[in-house]
Amino acid sequence: MELIVALGLIVLKVALLIAILLLLPLPLTWLERKIAGHIQQRMGPMRVGWHGLLQPVADGIKLLTKEDHIPDDADRFLFKLAPILALAPPFVVFVAIPFGETVSVLGTEITLYVSNMNVALLFVFAVIGIEVYGVIFGGWAANSKYAVLGSLRTCAQMISYEIPMGFAVIGVVMLAQSMSLLEIVRAQADVWNIVYQPVGFFVFFVAGLAEAQRIPFDLAEAEGDLGAGFHTEYSGIRFAFFMVSEYAIVFLVSVLTVILFFGGWNGVLVPLPPLLWLLLKVAFFVYLFIWFRFTFPRYRYDQLMAIGWKVLLPLSMANIIITGIVFS
Amino acid sequence: MSHARHRVGAWIGWAFFADLASALALTFGYMFSRSVTMQYPDKEKWLPYPRYRGHHFLTRDEKGEIKCVACELCARICPCDCIEVIPYEDEKGNRHPAKFEIDMARCLFCGLCEDACPADAIALGQQYEFSSFSSSDLVVGRDDLLGKPGKARTGGGVVAARLNTEQDVLVETSEPQGYNWWRNIRRT
Repeated sequence: MELIVALGLIVLKVALLIAILLLLPLPLTWLERKIAGHIQQRMGPMRVGWHGLLQPVADGIKLLTKEDHIPDDADRFLFKLAPILALAPPFVVFVAIPFGETVSVLGTEITLYVSNMNVALLFVFAVIGIEVYGVIFGGWAANSKYAVLGSLRTCAQMISYEIPMGFAVIGVVMLAQSMSLLEIVRAQADVWNIVYQPVGFFVFFVAGLAEAQRIPFDLAEAEGDLGAGFHTEYSGIRFAFFMVSEYAIVFLVSVLTVILFFGGWNGVLVPLPPLLWLLLKVAFFVYLFIWFRFTFPRYRYDQLMAIGWKVLLPLSMANIIITGIVFS
Repeated sequence: MSHARHRVGAWIGWAFFADLASALALTFGYMFSRSVTMQYPDKEKWLPYPRYRGHHFLTRDEKGEIKCVACELCARICPCDCIEVIPYEDEKGNRHPAKFEIDMARCLFCGLCEDACPADAIALGQQYEFSSFSSSDLVVGRDDLLGKPGKARTGGGVVAARLNTEQDVLVETSEPQGYNWWRNIRRT
């Protein structure tokens, strides 16, 4: 009986997580368009619903009902596989991500994570690495110059930025003496990691920007020179898959930044519920992503590679060495 | 000395992304500034200036008689041949148009008819909202032209738009200088 209850709980959590992640682009696109509008002294969507609140729903219906076009010379199997490959990893990653300790519902303690892996951080980086397959398959299968160029850029970018990203979190792992995200948050109960690891945070966040392919590192879909990058040839619901995956990664990088460097659900001064604290911090980082997008220009391809290999990688290495010396 | 200090300051600023931070501060300020959008069909609507060439209108004299003498000069000068006038003579021997039709779908709003008219009977007014689903609706006859709004007096103002359903909406009555487009533009 207990086994069935535990199993049902896990299924319920996974279903809830999938529902949240699938619905996440709705408020995020609205927010992004609103913030973009107000930064540029426009208003953003205003006509569908109150202040355009239903605009994402209308856009979703539009995407669902549009023609799902597959180019003539496309590799049909890979073309259909790519959006799923791009969509699945950001969803799978959230299995390992804790949103808090426990909450008690109807007298039973329910943990706010699906699984507490002891190598959660490794799992996150391993799974998120798979996402690059969706991008490169999508670009290759479409048989279009823009798409291939875009996916080539993305591939190079993702691989070169995953290295400093991986190195940046080693300092955190050294401090917490654990790779479990739960333990990392518990280790930050008194002092957040940002105090000890400002360089690590900087490298992680910049690499996260590149990983999520947001401005200033959105070379893969540089509108000016590549059409839309790897998803140039996608339309309808398959295009929506790529969009959902992009927003899921923005959310993921924000959650990871908060968990690794900003104390997760540990609050300061104001005694709010832990989950609310986490969500507030995550909301701030999501806002930061959008704010960056409408402030900074895009880096050139060689500048991107130079930043990745000549600045971030040495910085993260130095961070590991200094952390090791100071805390040993 | 001060030059060297300035350079050191510049390098420190470079290392801590002072330029990026100032850019972020600028966009953050813009985010809370008023937007310049005029929500045209929903709320506000712009009033054109007197020189604006919109929908044609026919005028009457002080006795309420149509001013047009049906000389057909407007029809002659029209570069796209969109005016059709058929005259008649009333019992006093005055010429007036029996039929005065303008095909708005073909009109290019050059205003030559207004310039050519010897009786100041036809002019291009301020109305600009006359889109339609069929081009046959755009052929406007004499009686409709007589009822069209005339030239704007001051112009450049903002009034409530047609689709406006709310009462408490921004309505700027015509300012003497017209609508100040730069009012909400943040300049630093």
